[in-house]
Amino acid sequence: MIKIENLHKQFGNLVVLDRVSFEVPEGQTFVILGRSGTGKSVLLKCIVRLLEPDSGKIFVDGKNILELSHKELSELRKEIGFLFQSAALYDSMSVRENLAFPLLRHTNLNEEEIESKVKEMLRLVGLEEAIDKMPSELSGGMKKRIGLARALILHPKIMLYDEPTTGLDPVTSKEIAKLILDMQRKFKMTNIVVTHDMVVALSTADKILLLDKGKFIFEGTPDELVNSKLEITHKFLSTTLD
Amino acid sequence: MNFTERINQFFMTIGGLTAFTIRFFTEVFRPPYEIGEIRKHMDELGVKTFSIVSVTGFIIGLVLGMQTQPVLARFGAEMFLPGTIALSVIRELGPVLTALIFAGRVGSGIGAELGSMRVTEQIDAMEVSAVDPFRYLVVTRVVATTLMLPLLTIYVDFIALIGGYIAVTITQNLTFTYYIHLVLEAVTFSDVIPGVSKTFVFGFIVGIVGSYLGFNATKGTEGVGKASTTAVVISSLLILLFDMILVRLTLIIFPD
Repeated sequence: MIKIENLHKQFGNLVVLDRVSFEVPEGQTFVILGRSGTGKSVLLKCIVRLLEPDSGKIFVDGKNILELSHKELSELRKEIGFLFQSAALYDSMSVRENLAFPLLRHTNLNEEEIESKVKEMLRLVGLEEAIDKMPSELSGGMKKRIGLARALILHPKIMLYDEPTTGLDPVTSKEIAKLILDMQRKFKMTNIVVTHDMVVALSTADKILLLDKGKFIFEGTPDELVNSKLEITHKFLSTTLD
Repeated sequence: MNFTERINQFFMTIGGLTAFTIRFFTEVFRPPYEIGEIRKHMDELGVKTFSIVSVTGFIIGLVLGMQTQPVLARFGAEMFLPGTIALSVIRELGPVLTALIFAGRVGSGIGAELGSMRVTEQIDAMEVSAVDPFRYLVVTRVVATTLMLPLLTIYVDFIALIGGYIAVTITQNLTFTYYIHLVLEAVTFSDVIPGVSKTFVFGFIVGIVGSYLGFNATKGTEGVGKASTTAVVISSLLILLFDMILVRLTLIIFPD
């Protein structure tokens, strides 16, 4: 479903991604784990071409996205949901308008159908009562849920999560991790989750990739990570026990 | 930042702004035209600037009348006061002062709004959801400022003429109807058209500069503030520069 080959990205002399390769099969959830500033978000943004890599190939659904025209890329992006680190809700729009925005742009649904779809998505993320609120009236956890609802409203085949629990308390983080699992079960998407949160990584991943200094230094299942002898994995695991 | 870096940054801004403007003209004529968004922005711009341009327009006319009256009186030419006020306002003061206020109020607002959207990843979110943020956010705003400023200028010209009438009545016993008659006698087609036409250019400058700086804002909230203030500085300078060019052009086209 998603295949990355020798992806390289650097900013000035700083190499952020050093010819990384991996493949995410359809319907699986891959977690990319790593410390802050190791290039996890850069990798995710390259996949949707918010950033242009210096070299390498990115195949989504068999198409090399780096060779797509503007129109083809737009079509492909409709198949991809993206939850941003800051949720990135449009702050001049209410929750209703935020969720309705992709539907108004990309579907021919009428007003009633849009309203019903918006309510359905809000029900799924447990925030029906927030429909008339503005983003500034929402807590961090609520913003993430609304951001997730907006990303999922067109039923994408692929979902990309950029640090879904950053800035949230442990309880809300667990709720978001559960929500990611629930959505995966409901919509059967292919997911890539970028995080430094071990709770999210261990609870949602089919496979975990550990990114350090631009390269993957570990690739395996959550169990294999827990039993790994790498020092950095122990440092990450110790954060879950604290 | 040293002198060389400042020069570099200046030319990078000019180059970036030129490329941004070219992109605008390649996008603006392609459908969909986002008429609803353009109308929404025009409404907002009108509401935002209505009160400040009303007050400014009235004061311009009033002060201009009060300052000019004694000068004309010295030459026994007080009867030319309404025409002098009207020509000054319609040809130069109305368009330029409205544009400068517009730059301060609207240009800074666009810079801050788009800058804030950029640093909080809202523009990225729009792009990822297959909506072209340039067309949706930039093109609509620039079209709205380009169309709105001429309307505001016509309104300001009218308000300034009312201010001018108040100034005239301080020293002369003149009815409003006769005042307007004298104004219309002095003003010709070649005064009104260039005066209003150049505000399309000024409106475009305010929109494109604010959008360019906001759309390319970096470095968090500091970048948002910088986009907002720089938008006012650059658009004000460009308004004055283009005014000079357009006045010269007008004098060539309408030599009388």
